[in-house]
Amino acid sequence: MRLEEKLDKELMALVKKKYRPALEELYDRYIKLIYGFIFKFTNGNEEKTKEIVQLVFLKLWTTKSSYNPEKGNFVNWLLTVTRNVCVDYVRKDSIHIRNNKQMDLSKPIDIEDPNNDIENGLINSEIAKAKNKLSKPQKRLIDLLYWKGYSLTEIAKIENEPIGTIKSRLHQSLKQLKKYLEVGDL
Amino acid sequence: MSIECDNLLSFLSDELEEKEKKAFAEHLIHCPECTREYDQMTEAWNSLKWDFEEFAPPSSLKSEVMNFVFESNPEIPVPVRKVKKWSSFFRKQFTPITSGLLLATLVLVIVLLNSNVQLKKELSAINLPVEVETTLSLQPADKTAVNMNTDGVAYVLQQGEERRLVVQIQNLPTLKESEVYQVWLLNKGERANAGTFKPDEAGTGLLTYKLILNDQFNQIGITKEPDPNGTQPRGKKIVGSS
Repeated sequence: MRLEEKLDKELMALVKKKYRPALEELYDRYIKLIYGFIFKFTNGNEEKTKEIVQLVFLKLWTTKSSYNPEKGNFVNWLLTVTRNVCVDYVRKDSIHIRNNKQMDLSKPIDIEDPNNDIENGLINSEIAKAKNKLSKPQKRLIDLLYWKGYSLTEIAKIENEPIGTIKSRLHQSLKQLKKYLEVGDL
Repeated sequence: MSIECDNLLSFLSDELEEKEKKAFAEHLIHCPECTREYDQMTEAWNSLKWDFEEFAPPSSLKSEVMNFVFESNPEIPVPVRKVKKWSSFFRKQFTPITSGLLLATLVLVIVLLNSNVQLKKELSAINLPVEVETTLSLQPADKTAVNMNTDGVAYVLQQGEERRLVVQIQNLPTLKESEVYQVWLLNKGERANAGTFKPDEAGTGLLTYKLILNDQFNQIGITKEPDPNGTQPRGKKIVGSS
């Protein structure tokens, strides 16, 4: 059977056996997805995006925790791995900066979606629609946590609020988001 | 609400240490409130990953990524890592304590083996006849003493490779409490200890002593000693071979 016809899980099994063409096939299949995710995470920084893409594929090549088809589809797993690499990257990358500069709070933290500029604000995914119904502060908290990889403690510092407040606001925001997602389904 | 419930968001965003993570996972099983909240939030959290647009990278990226992966991680790293693992595994097994214990065990094994060999030799010697190699008659040292009818005999017995000295003496003077008779092997003026004994009430004393291969002697002497711990005669010679 040709590699192109193989299932994702079969490709991952081959990758585990150190079969290089299988990793290249996964790249061809999912690079747009991975690249887009990381591009958003790095706020459109091409250099960082490239570095993280490299780390994601290195992780796929060396990972010991293999993909388990029973725990959800492959793309979900792939994006979770990708985000973990992103978070590790920004945490390592910024420990120095965050600690030494005490976080420069005077500069606003840009959390605009770079693609939204390109797409002229055209929103086509369910999640983006649902998220857009949240209030700005709610969206901002979620983005700081999910798309910036800040820890809860760091967010509390940035927002200058007690961590308990941040937690309960995020809690409410996520619950709200879930409701909007359900409504969107109808 | 317990204190654990407070960790719900940290758990969701994977910020907990391994220990706390385990504790919260455990808590989740027993706290229906957290379970309900967690399920709701996880759904929203998981859908967040779709909040981006697919985007084609520059075409040069593929070779850069593949070079990075295969250069920083050669295709056959497994055996190398295994060797390292094994050697460090072995090194871990040999802490000073385990090395010490191992050494002590080895010494013990050698000692036991040796004594076992010795025992086997003795057992095999049982089949061989005992022969009298030498007989020495023993007389009182002080021949002028009145009523001194002490006398005895010493034999050197040979059985296979083994040599044994047997000393038998009658009418020995009685001893005080800690006193003993001690047998000495005399060779060119040198005296070597061959053991101590106490006679019975009638004054009859008996001693056997296993001779080492190079125990050479031409005479034996028996002294009265204050205790059985001497390495050189301290008391008076009572009997001896002529």
